[in-house]
Amino acid sequence: MSATRPLRLTPERAAEWFAVANVAFLGVDIAIAHAENAYRVRAEWAPLVFSAAGTLLLLPMALGRGGAAWRWIEQLVGAGAVLVGVAGMVFHLHSGFFQQQTLRNLVYSAPFVAPLAYVGVGLLLLLLRSAPRSPDELGWWLLVLALGGFLGNFGLSLLDHAQNGFFRWTEWIPVVAAAFGSGFVFVLWLRPPAAPWPVVAALVACQIAVGVAGFALHLWADWHRPAARLTDRFLFGAPAFAPLLFADIAVLAAIGVWARAQHPQDRAASQHDAGRRDQP
Amino acid sequence: MPFRSLFMAVVIGTALVVAAFLVNARRPRVERDQPSPALVEASGKCAGCHRRESSAIVDQFERSQHAVRGVTCLDCHRPLEGQASVDHRGFVIAKSLTARNCAQCHAGEYEQFARSRHAAPAWAAVNGAKDFTAQQLAAGERWHKGWVDRAPNPIATLEGQAAMASGCNACHAIGKPNADGSFGTCTSCHARHSASVELARLPSTCGQCHMGPDHSQIEIYEESKHGALFAAQRQRMNLRADPKRLTTADMSVPTCATCHMSGLEGAGLTHDTTERLSWFLFAPVSDKRPNYERGQAAMKDVCSKCHARSQIDAFFTRAEAVLQATNEKVQGIVAVMDGLRKDGLVPKKPFSTPLQFEEFNAWHYYGRTAKHGAFMGGADFVQWHGNYELLRLRVSIDDAAAGLRAAHGRP
Repeated sequence: MSATRPLRLTPERAAEWFAVANVAFLGVDIAIAHAENAYRVRAEWAPLVFSAAGTLLLLPMALGRGGAAWRWIEQLVGAGAVLVGVAGMVFHLHSGFFQQQTLRNLVYSAPFVAPLAYVGVGLLLLLLRSAPRSPDELGWWLLVLALGGFLGNFGLSLLDHAQNGFFRWTEWIPVVAAAFGSGFVFVLWLRPPAAPWPVVAALVACQIAVGVAGFALHLWADWHRPAARLTDRFLFGAPAFAPLLFADIAVLAAIGVWARAQHPQDRAASQHDAGRRDQP
Repeated sequence: MPFRSLFMAVVIGTALVVAAFLVNARRPRVERDQPSPALVEASGKCAGCHRRESSAIVDQFERSQHAVRGVTCLDCHRPLEGQASVDHRGFVIAKSLTARNCAQCHAGEYEQFARSRHAAPAWAAVNGAKDFTAQQLAAGERWHKGWVDRAPNPIATLEGQAAMASGCNACHAIGKPNADGSFGTCTSCHARHSASVELARLPSTCGQCHMGPDHSQIEIYEESKHGALFAAQRQRMNLRADPKRLTTADMSVPTCATCHMSGLEGAGLTHDTTERLSWFLFAPVSDKRPNYERGQAAMKDVCSKCHARSQIDAFFTRAEAVLQATNEKVQGIVAVMDGLRKDGLVPKKPFSTPLQFEEFNAWHYYGRTAKHGAFMGGADFVQWHGNYELLRLRVSIDDAAAGLRAAHGRP
């Protein structure tokens, strides 16, 4: 039923670890985000339960264990993630935007882009467990997902910072970073496999820098909020982990470029891995 | 990287940034241009939750002038010096709001209110002086000597705390001393989230407290020609008109606020409801107020928007004649009761015999009603609800006094 694949680092293996890490960390992030709403609606527990269960079910994949049954379970987790994400987006918009379709309600509704992160991870899982494909095709799809992530970061940072009116000019930095990141990932996606590594390195470094700086600035802003209770400052303040999505998505883009730029022997190894994984 | 790719990436990135700027610029200034991030967030985030939790307050606020003028929730709800604060879902807000919060923007209106009888004297009339700080006591006594530094109302004390809290103080809290040094709350007349001028101009708003046998102003108003006209022409009036630009075209029929407070066509707009009064009508025996001349002149100025000066003077002369006659009738009853008290036929402890209640009713119900009826054009209240009852009580008290004296052998 199960088979062990060697823990050799390939783009596919990196993408698997990326998927498991994201399913797990989304749960942590949502635990904090929904605590802000005091879990008023029972459905707010759904992504937490899903992330916890999904992480456990994906652990064999992260550890290189495989097989038909696990493949089916991983696909189920992927499909579930898509479902949770789409439902979450609808629920978030329902918190305000569906009542009055105004720009203000879009800004102050629960962030509708955020649940789409589950959709992205779900599609990634389905991609990784789909029929055998070339690394080039894998890279092509990884870049599509990364492009979605960059556009998501653009929307998230725009709407989140609009909530406090871009009070500090620094709040435009992630918007600009995500916009140009989207542009560069788009052309990387269009380009033939040869990777312009300096450009990719600069893009990833820039996005990681924006993410880490944002993380630090959000922590600083929360620390200086006027709330008396420390927990309130972080619970209701700037979402500390949100900027790290910039680094996260940049890593996915880098994996995508890596997959497309693999040497023929590496491609063969990857295809061999994929072939073993698909054996019943 | 080929130039073509670089060019496309830059064009896409720039287009997205420009789109972001354009979308953000389309937001109303009130949502963007605030002095602090918390105030920006308050322009939309509060409604996000409260539309689910207590949606009526959001609807009321959104229809208010406060919303039109760009006031945010936090403008009013932020804690000021002397106010207890509480953490509330990422915002620090005042535990409860007072007139001081309103005074941040409406300082002039608050100052007028603070020197009116709606402020310290209203609270002291029931609760006495015990709740005031030294500064509040001094401020109240400055404008109303003897009406703030006083004992609690004996009836309220006898009826107990529960009756005081839900009965007397429901109205008299309009002048409650607050921990932040201010008096009362503006919401008694303007409501909370609607912050409504229209509401404050409605007779029914004043009538929430100025009603019943002891201060039957709303009943008198509704019986008067003013009240009848208001009922007939309410739909044609613009009760939302800017107070500083109010004309008779907006309010051709007077409500309580028109005569006592409004800036109708240049009359000095005031929140001191005492300013245009000339007599202490509520007192057992009415005296002239310290600002008698100025107060009456100001009231007559408002009357002159509709009435000829000769009519106005004649009206006031007739009303003052009723007042003097009522004073004499009440004084007569008090003299009988003082005689009984002096002879030990009525106990000194208040409200311990039915006869003491009759004495109290004489001035507190019927004397007041007769005088208010005379000054507000309520003929039935001058006559049947006022003078007739005073006459009946006088006969009843004289009879009871004669009986007591006969019973105790004290002619």
